[in-house]
Amino acid sequence: MSTIAFSLIAVMIAAYAMLDGYDLGVGAIMPFIARDERERGAVMAAIGPFWNGNEVWLVAAGGTLFALFPRAYASAFSGFYLPFMVVLWLLMFRGISIELRNHKTNPLWRAFFDASFSVSSALLIVLFGIAVANLLRGVPLDEHAYFRGTFAFLLNPYALGIGLFALIVLSLHGAIFLATRTEDAVGERALRVARTWWPIAALAYGAATIATVIIHPLWSNFTAAPVLIAIPLVTFAGFAGTRIFTGFGRPHAAFAASSVFIGGLLLSAAVTLFPYLLTGYPDPATGLTVGSAAPPSSALAVGSTVAIVGLAIVAVYTWVARRNMRSARSRASA
Amino acid sequence: MTSAVIADRIQFAFTIMFHYLFPIVTMGLAPFLATYAVLAARTREQRYERALHMWGRIFAINFAVGVVTGIPMEFQFGTNWAPFSARAGAVIGQPLAMEGIYAFFLESVFVGIFLYGRSAVPRFLYTLSIVMIWLGSWLSGFFIVATDAWMQHPVGYTIAADGVIRLQSLAAVLLNAFAWWQFAHVLTGAVIAAAFILAGTGAFLLLSGRAENDARMYVRHGVIVACIFSVLAIFPTGDRNGADVTHDQPIKLAAMEGLFRSEYGAPLAIIGMPDTSRRTLIDPILVPKTLSFLAYGNFEANVKGLDDYPRDLWPPVELTYYAYHVMVGLGTIFVAVAALAAVLLWRRRLYESRWMLWILMLSMPFPFIANEAGWMVTEIGRQPWIVYGLMKTADAASPNVAAGETIFTTIGFAGMYFLLGVLWLFLVLREIAEGPGAPAPAEESAR
Repeated sequence: MSTIAFSLIAVMIAAYAMLDGYDLGVGAIMPFIARDERERGAVMAAIGPFWNGNEVWLVAAGGTLFALFPRAYASAFSGFYLPFMVVLWLLMFRGISIELRNHKTNPLWRAFFDASFSVSSALLIVLFGIAVANLLRGVPLDEHAYFRGTFAFLLNPYALGIGLFALIVLSLHGAIFLATRTEDAVGERALRVARTWWPIAALAYGAATIATVIIHPLWSNFTAAPVLIAIPLVTFAGFAGTRIFTGFGRPHAAFAASSVFIGGLLLSAAVTLFPYLLTGYPDPATGLTVGSAAPPSSALAVGSTVAIVGLAIVAVYTWVARRNMRSARSRASA
Repeated sequence: MTSAVIADRIQFAFTIMFHYLFPIVTMGLAPFLATYAVLAARTREQRYERALHMWGRIFAINFAVGVVTGIPMEFQFGTNWAPFSARAGAVIGQPLAMEGIYAFFLESVFVGIFLYGRSAVPRFLYTLSIVMIWLGSWLSGFFIVATDAWMQHPVGYTIAADGVIRLQSLAAVLLNAFAWWQFAHVLTGAVIAAAFILAGTGAFLLLSGRAENDARMYVRHGVIVACIFSVLAIFPTGDRNGADVTHDQPIKLAAMEGLFRSEYGAPLAIIGMPDTSRRTLIDPILVPKTLSFLAYGNFEANVKGLDDYPRDLWPPVELTYYAYHVMVGLGTIFVAVAALAAVLLWRRRLYESRWMLWILMLSMPFPFIANEAGWMVTEIGRQPWIVYGLMKTADAASPNVAAGETIFTTIGFAGMYFLLGVLWLFLVLREIAEGPGAPAPAEESAR
């Protein structure tokens, strides 16, 4: 049961990275793609209807973690109190920037919110990258599994590197998304940026993989269940597909490939972490596992079922809504 | 109580009270918006289209600020109240997770259609999306109230040997009788606030001599709904909440009423100042035997006073008492104002009675105060417990977060929220000042 619960949360976080990842990436890459206020308006309109729904994945994953693994939720969020508050403020600033920019036509008003949207998006990506890196590397925990460490510990070279890696790959992801939803100069420029950034992303991907293998030598899950090796392989295929489809000028296929890549990265990290929710440092075994963090009751089964049923309902109405939006648009243009 | 607990409580109180200003409007305005959307789709009348446009824009600004100020709320359980989360998370995590999955997705998908899909989706889907936003906002409210109701009146749990609270029945948590009357009362409070906003905005437009037909419609709808719901807030919803408190939390009742000594035929204090050091109510105006009747339906019933309980189980008496009296006092005034306006409406004199329009316009902030005061009674009156009878607030604060850190971030929140408040006020007042314009051309470019 705890394996299903762990997988559920891993999938929700991977979905968050894939979905909010593209609108965060759009924020980071916007200054390189949109040249004037009108073009920035087109970029904002491309993510406008979706960003809030994407961000719900973070809130839903947080709530599900709370219900299923309360001790991990309590340790992680209180342990990283100040960094977490910074994340919250950035999320707030970013949301306000997106929603309020269009309420006035004054160019200074819009320039301010566009800039704060880009800066907060880029910083959030780096911070999320640092968070995942520290999960993989492990953090010092006391006997009650509360984090006892310093900022300097969290901002280690490996974590900073992964933060930069996240910024590069999500910017690429965002650029490809823009190529699917904008036309004319903006769409073409987005595709071109995606092609030029790909080699940089390839270098970062290689470096991040090697660094992770060195930092986190816990590969027992892959040896125990070799079928799981498919996840990093599919991840790699997604990355290759990103280049191939952008090369052929097929943004939708490239976006699908890029989504597979981002989701695969997160799921690969989850597989290496299992059964740890919070790895200890220097000894991983001082961390919290699914066994020690879960309530020993029906909460796991009930909570997982309620979440899976709920997400199925969400999938249905999101699909119906998107389909109607698309068919109406094609009718309008026909 | 250590200062870290105080700092955590101040942070939670400040962030939740600021945040809650926006859900009041979202939950209250959503049914009006859905009604205008359905009327506009069915009758194709321009006045409903204009109403949908103007109130939709105000709703959107409000929704945005509500979403961003809501994000810190869920995560504060983990950051500031880690021992509470670790111990009770198996229960309270469930409704909070359900809020994310069952309510937030619903709201966000359909808000996306509502704000960006006006020209991109068929009309029925556009109308449906507003109804879905209504459903989502009320569902979200329900899950939060269910979480709170469990902290007030825990049900459906067992306690493990190591003290961890286990979930026994999710159904019991969601069907908690305490939750349903509390939810009904919360909804009436939100609808009253929105009704007064409609009436007040209409009154402002009438007093300024603008958009008179639309303005009359807002005043009319606002006054009628305010009249009905301000009565519902007192009876049955407020009354039933009071009965639940009397039954489950008698110490809170004593603090709300400022009753120190147990009495048969206890009087109701209309005003007065509780003095906890001398254990008496200073300069009270009392209505004889009424408290006994309101609490137990019997003028001679015994109502227990604070003196019957150990001092360390008292909630902060003054805050609970004043908040309760502010809520009840304002609630009574709302009935009077709404009823007076309704009579003038019925006699066809409301739109010409400038004094009444002034009163309606200036009434707008007060339902917010009443809503906030009501939550203060609920939450401060629950102290010293974080989960009533099971866990003390003093044992619930994160041991690894220092008071200084929390005070530092609280100041940060204060600065951020000041900015948000100014932006919100500026944008909403601008919409009201513009009034119901022509919806069609401005819409796409304005988004």
